Amino acid sequence: MHDQAKPSAQAPSASRYFTWLFFLGALVFALGAGLVGDVFFLRLATEALIFGGLALSVDLLLGRVGLLPLGQALFFGLGAYVSALVLKEWHNSFWLSVTVSLVASALAGLVGGIVAIRAKGVYFALISFGLAQVVSKVVFNTRDLGASDGIIGVPGAAIFPGLTSADPIGFFLVTLATIFGLYCGLTYLMETPFGRQLSAIRTNEHRIPFLGFDPWRYKLLAFVVAACIAGLSGALYPMLRGFVSPELMFFQVSGNAVINVIVGGTGTLIGSLYGSTLLTGLKSVVGSFTAHHQIVIGLLFVVVVIVFPRGLIGYLSPLLQRRLSFRHATGRGGQ
Amino acid sequence: MEPILSIHGLSVRFGALLAVNDVSFDALAGKITAVIGPNGAGKSSLFNLISGAVTPTRGRVMFENKDVTGTSPDHMLKVGLSRSFQITNLFFELTVQENLRLAAQFLEQGHGLFRPLAASTRANARVDELIVQFGLQDKASELAGYLSHGEQRRLEIAVSLAARPRMLLLDEPTQGMSHADTKETEIMIRGLASEHGLSILLVEHDVDLVMNISDHVVVMHQGKKLAEGTPAQVRSNASVQAAYFGEHG
Ligand SMILES: Nc1ncnc2c1ncn2[C@@H]1O[C@H](COP(=O)(O)OP(=O)(O)OP(=O)(O)O)[C@@H](O)[C@H]1O
Ligand SMILES: [Mg+2]
Repeated sequence: MHDQAKPSAQAPSASRYFTWLFFLGALVFALGAGLVGDVFFLRLATEALIFGGLALSVDLLLGRVGLLPLGQALFFGLGAYVSALVLKEWHNSFWLSVTVSLVASALAGLVGGIVAIRAKGVYFALISFGLAQVVSKVVFNTRDLGASDGIIGVPGAAIFPGLTSADPIGFFLVTLATIFGLYCGLTYLMETPFGRQLSAIRTNEHRIPFLGFDPWRYKLLAFVVAACIAGLSGALYPMLRGFVSPELMFFQVSGNAVINVIVGGTGTLIGSLYGSTLLTGLKSVVGSFTAHHQIVIGLLFVVVVIVFPRGLIGYLSPLLQRRLSFRHATGRGGQ
Repeated sequence: MEPILSIHGLSVRFGALLAVNDVSFDALAGKITAVIGPNGAGKSSLFNLISGAVTPTRGRVMFENKDVTGTSPDHMLKVGLSRSFQITNLFFELTVQENLRLAAQFLEQGHGLFRPLAASTRANARVDELIVQFGLQDKASELAGYLSHGEQRRLEIAVSLAARPRMLLLDEPTQGMSHADTKETEIMIRGLASEHGLSILLVEHDVDLVMNISDHVVVMHQGKKLAEGTPAQVRSNASVQAAYFGEHG
């Protein structure tokens, strides 16, 4: 009976359908691209997944804890730089660079969290923004990190014997598996007492201490988890593109991640991946016609916020849920 | 008999206002102690000082012979003191069941935080128990925000009880309730003390209710303690009559 505490638990959950649709769709896409020997779209889709991971970390903070991170690219860029350095200067192992990036982003998340998490609302957003600004400017001016050029010529990462990140379809699948793992881990975490505590903090933080919990610890841990997800996603970036640059930490990247989340559906988690795919694809298509694709994206964002304030999945999910509940109620739900 | 809670010279200043001014009294274990007084007397402020929501400017709070002055609210619950709020303070966007589960999670003492919800068996059992105890069976999967006012007030008490505190501070539990609900709440509070041995500190506007169920009454007026004693003693106290019963008829 405790399952009934879930917001939409009696019938099969709509968000599960969207999850399978996304990941199975990605597999079908990979199959198709492999058959026709495409590289461009596989690379683009891999990039969409990588930025989807960043958006996922933003949704954890924004949709679940109610904190708007305007500088999440800090951890994404950190993961990317650490990964690039490991691959280029140390060893071209996928596993090594991913592990080191993860540790680095966890530590940075802890430090950043301690600084930012006591602040609420717009102050949190500004501190997060400020931290990313500071770090990106430092990187921009550090010659050892390639300054404004970043780090170029990052070798492909060796993933398994016979598979490197230079293999478009192989690396797409590895990225897909990574994002799938992050997504599953996060959805699991959200259905534990820890995850539910985050929702409670978003709903009414003031009551939490009187229930015997210190909300600060929960928020800090959520912040570290978000930093790890962003950092891990970032670690994949140089493997895909062969370079990193300070732009990865700029506000543009943080802002786009927030837009991906809002367009996909804040708080839905899977919506971040849809949003990222949609907007990365759109940017590429629009970008082939005009250099001013940001204007088009900006306009689209405004329209979505006005017409579908809950975002794509936030709009579609209740519709599907109603159908599922109806089928469930009339005994055709297959249970 | 041992006092479970004992406060000494408790004061808090908000700017120029001494909202609580040198208040001292004891609350006995397993008894119902009521704090009454006109609007703005400082009753809720007193609760804020005891529960750790606000740090006192001066004075001491002793709970079970330990000095807990200025202890944070989450720590106060750990030592065994919980509270409810005068203005309903729930998770309105979450279900009744989830409100209770969040509060009952305390019973797991930090275990099972990263395991599926079903693993928190003690918390889940407590939720089921409270749902029955507070007659919320039909409302368990309703969002707390959609409950009637009376149901919300009931849930407010249930949530503050979930952690099985040894002492409960109830700030105007019957505020805005119908006559029937008030009567029911009165019986429930009395039961909590007599059957479950819970120590209760109660702020309440309903003087009849207070006189019916309290073992000890403290009267506050303009931040100060005006009088204290049994309900009968307080009722016959001349200054109390002038300051309090006079105003309220
Ligand atoms: N945080 C605060 N900052 C400033 N003033 C406060 C604060 N909390 C309470 N006060 C003031 O302290 C005084 C006592 O308020 P309090 O809420 O304790 O009274 P009360 O006895 O609970 O009244 P009521 O019966 O209306 O609930 C009021 O004048 C109130 O405005
Ligand atoms: Mg009050």
